[in-house]
Amino acid sequence: MGYLRLFGTMGAEASFREEDFFGREEELSVLTRAALDGARGVGSSFMIYGPPNIGKTSILLKLAKALATPSDAEGLPRPFPLYFSFSQILSHPLALSQHFLQEFLSQLLRFLGDARPSSFDPAAMCDRLASLGVTGCREVLAAHDRYTVDGDGLSALVNALSFPFSASGELFYPVFLFDDFQYTGKLQGVPEGAMLSILRPYIKSGHFPMFFSGSSPGRVTSALKREGLFGTFQMIEVGGLSTDSSVGLWGHLCGRRRVEVPVSLLPRASERLGGIPAYQRMFVEEIFFRNAKVSDAVALENLYAVSVTEGKLNRYWREFFENTFPDRARRGRAIRFLKRVLCDRFPLDTVEGAISLMGVSEEEGNAILSSLEFKGLMKADLEQITFVGDPVLADFLYWAFERGVLGKGTSQVAASIVQARLSRTAPEPGQGGGHARRVAAVKDLMRKWDLREVPLLLLDFGKFLEKFGGKGLLEVVIGMEREAVKVRLPKVSSVSTGYRTSHGGPRFDFDLVAYGFLDFDFSEENLVIWAVDVALEKNLGARAVEHFENRCRLLALEKGLPNDRLRKWMLINETADPAAIELASGYGIHLSHPTQLRLFLNLFGLEELERDPEPPRSPGAEAPRDGRALEYELVLPIKGDSEVVAARVAEEVAAFAAVDADTVDRIKMAIIEACINAFEHSASESGKVRLRYLLSPDKIELFVQDDGKGFRAGKTQEESKKNRGWGLKLIRELVDDVEIITGPDGTVVHMVTHLGADSSNHGAAIKEEGGSDSPGER
Amino acid sequence: MSPHKTIRIREEGDALVVCVGGYLNSLLGEEVDKVVRARLDGGGRLILLNFGGTRLVNSIGISFVIGIVEKVMEREGRMAFCEVSRINRELFRVTGLEKYVRSFETEKEALDYLSGNA
Repeated sequence: MGYLRLFGTMGAEASFREEDFFGREEELSVLTRAALDGARGVGSSFMIYGPPNIGKTSILLKLAKALATPSDAEGLPRPFPLYFSFSQILSHPLALSQHFLQEFLSQLLRFLGDARPSSFDPAAMCDRLASLGVTGCREVLAAHDRYTVDGDGLSALVNALSFPFSASGELFYPVFLFDDFQYTGKLQGVPEGAMLSILRPYIKSGHFPMFFSGSSPGRVTSALKREGLFGTFQMIEVGGLSTDSSVGLWGHLCGRRRVEVPVSLLPRASERLGGIPAYQRMFVEEIFFRNAKVSDAVALENLYAVSVTEGKLNRYWREFFENTFPDRARRGRAIRFLKRVLCDRFPLDTVEGAISLMGVSEEEGNAILSSLEFKGLMKADLEQITFVGDPVLADFLYWAFERGVLGKGTSQVAASIVQARLSRTAPEPGQGGGHARRVAAVKDLMRKWDLREVPLLLLDFGKFLEKFGGKGLLEVVIGMEREAVKVRLPKVSSVSTGYRTSHGGPRFDFDLVAYGFLDFDFSEENLVIWAVDVALEKNLGARAVEHFENRCRLLALEKGLPNDRLRKWMLINETADPAAIELASGYGIHLSHPTQLRLFLNLFGLEELERDPEPPRSPGAEAPRDGRALEYELVLPIKGDSEVVAARVAEEVAAFAAVDADTVDRIKMAIIEACINAFEHSASESGKVRLRYLLSPDKIELFVQDDGKGFRAGKTQEESKKNRGWGLKLIRELVDDVEIITGPDGTVVHMVTHLGADSSNHGAAIKEEGGSDSPGER
Repeated sequence: MSPHKTIRIREEGDALVVCVGGYLNSLLGEEVDKVVRARLDGGGRLILLNFGGTRLVNSIGISFVIGIVEKVMEREGRMAFCEVSRINRELFRVTGLEKYVRSFETEKEALDYLSGNA
């Protein structure tokens, strides 16, 4: 029967130069160790992923070279590294299975010491392998021929891919190095996960080292999950080289081409190219062929810009996009879209937002995203998406957009790339943890807005203060319900932190930028951007407001947004100057106090911000008896579910303190657990449990008393059932203090929830207005 | 029989949806365990626990949920939670359940995840 002529494809395997491989010591060490464990029948599976060009293939090939070197381990089988790239095969399963068989036979013969055969004669290769002790090849081949004649691609594939597993023995064991694995999802007439289904028994057997590499982590990961294999794989994400390794590679490449670049420039050059070895090689070729002198930073940037706009770096990406998007119009849309994300830093991290930004039908939008994901330019995890941070790609997109869409000349674009780079400043240092927490809370909040209507007073501190200054939280909540003036929040498609408006343009580092739409209409006309700053200073001054407004104006100008499409929101840390409040009102900036933010979070069912650490309290301190405490008592029979009654009473008691729903829930759960423990462990003679609820201005105390032998923190006989024994741990998590007192008359569990622990954080400005420190104002 | 025990089950594609209502204590926990176990024995592998109607949970109820998660993992099944209230989320966090099972806001999101469409 006739075999295709793909024998001995001269792909990445042939062009790999081991001497050009630098760095990646950690990854190689892990992979080599895992591969060598295969000698003892211990296999492990790895998924190596990263963007295109990053060097995934090189890692596999470097590993293959390392494994092919004879080791000192006597008596153990040798690792046979079988490298196979799925990117070079035809998409028909028969073509793939044939190609795989050819590669396997050929690589195995070479591994066993033969030279590369000049032609592909599978029967002769099988005979030769038999003479070297590898038997059974003829039978596999005969079965494969039958499937091929029948046109049964899937069976042929199973036959071919199972071959290496059966052919190994005491002499060697296969180490699978499967490259470009995402292509296995695109075979004709074969379901997407078929390849993993075929390999599944071998992966699950745990005897074979298997290393897969691919540029589409979302796609491959979901395939692994579908096959129940995700937990079996260890994921390795490949990024750019470290600066040291990258500088080492520069030295090596420059030495080979005899080009000179000052050593002091090399770290900068590494960072410029994202530490990506393929770009470094292309760039050195560029220096060599242009006979360029790279004597200083400006010369380096000039040459880089030329290379991106008309040199090798340009050609690489141009061909990449031409192949990925053969349709010209779709290619244009994809480039424009990616340019907005990677260069303009459009805040984007959802599929919905991405499709909206493209301004195309959902079908076409998904097709573009799918192509980008397949090629590794984007990572999709559930509805969240992230894009690669490849600086060369960003500059290419900038060039392609400026030239293709705006019609600018190449030299004009190159000049602006250089200009942008030279004027770029270092990123600002990060803020403190408290600030980051608040930004994260607001980000979470915005995701939940989703066209809901809220009282305008939640956003505007000046009017909020006027109306509710000095009032307790409960009064504020009730008042808010009656508030007639409402604002409709947009549907936010995407939120992001940090922002730079245009390629190389000034940095406008807002704490948060949200990007959404009004009225369910995902068109440019209804695009709305929320720019948010979370103030760091304790007392917000007018200057900070002025500065924020200036940035907002620049942002609106750059994005061409009308006034009502840019919403400006500042969150106060503690208080604000009256001048700042007035100024914000004049500029139409929403200014919100932490109390307003807290109400917002409650309204949207989100976690409240973590409180600042409280000063330590003395353990077991007596609660003050100041005459203002309310006290309730309850006696419960030890009877199934009567703990629910205890919880209901706790709810009623908590209502007097006007505490929030979460605190009530915690108190209820804590008392339920304490009751259950009393029921289960006290061996009470009376068959009753006594409860006491004590409510004072600053705390709620709960006492659960039985006349038994004590609270069991450990596991009892009954609790020896698996997974039991959480009671005390839960109680400790649910209330602030727990004390267990066991005496001759029984056991008391004393639980305390402090109220008003965060009064220093909330309502500081309100109190300044003469407000009382009421129990509700927490 | 506890007056707080309510459970509803239905099938959505390959997934079994178990709506846990009322008070998740030992009785209800046992009931949930029973239906999930029957499903696994029958070859089903996708389980969704909907806690939208769960008003209260105690530690014994949680211990049953942990047992269910272990069983599903042993059988290489896939599991998700949905509509979990804040307090129950907190309890799942404390008991470590959240590390093993993903929680979703809506049943649809959870089913998409289970069917691999998400």
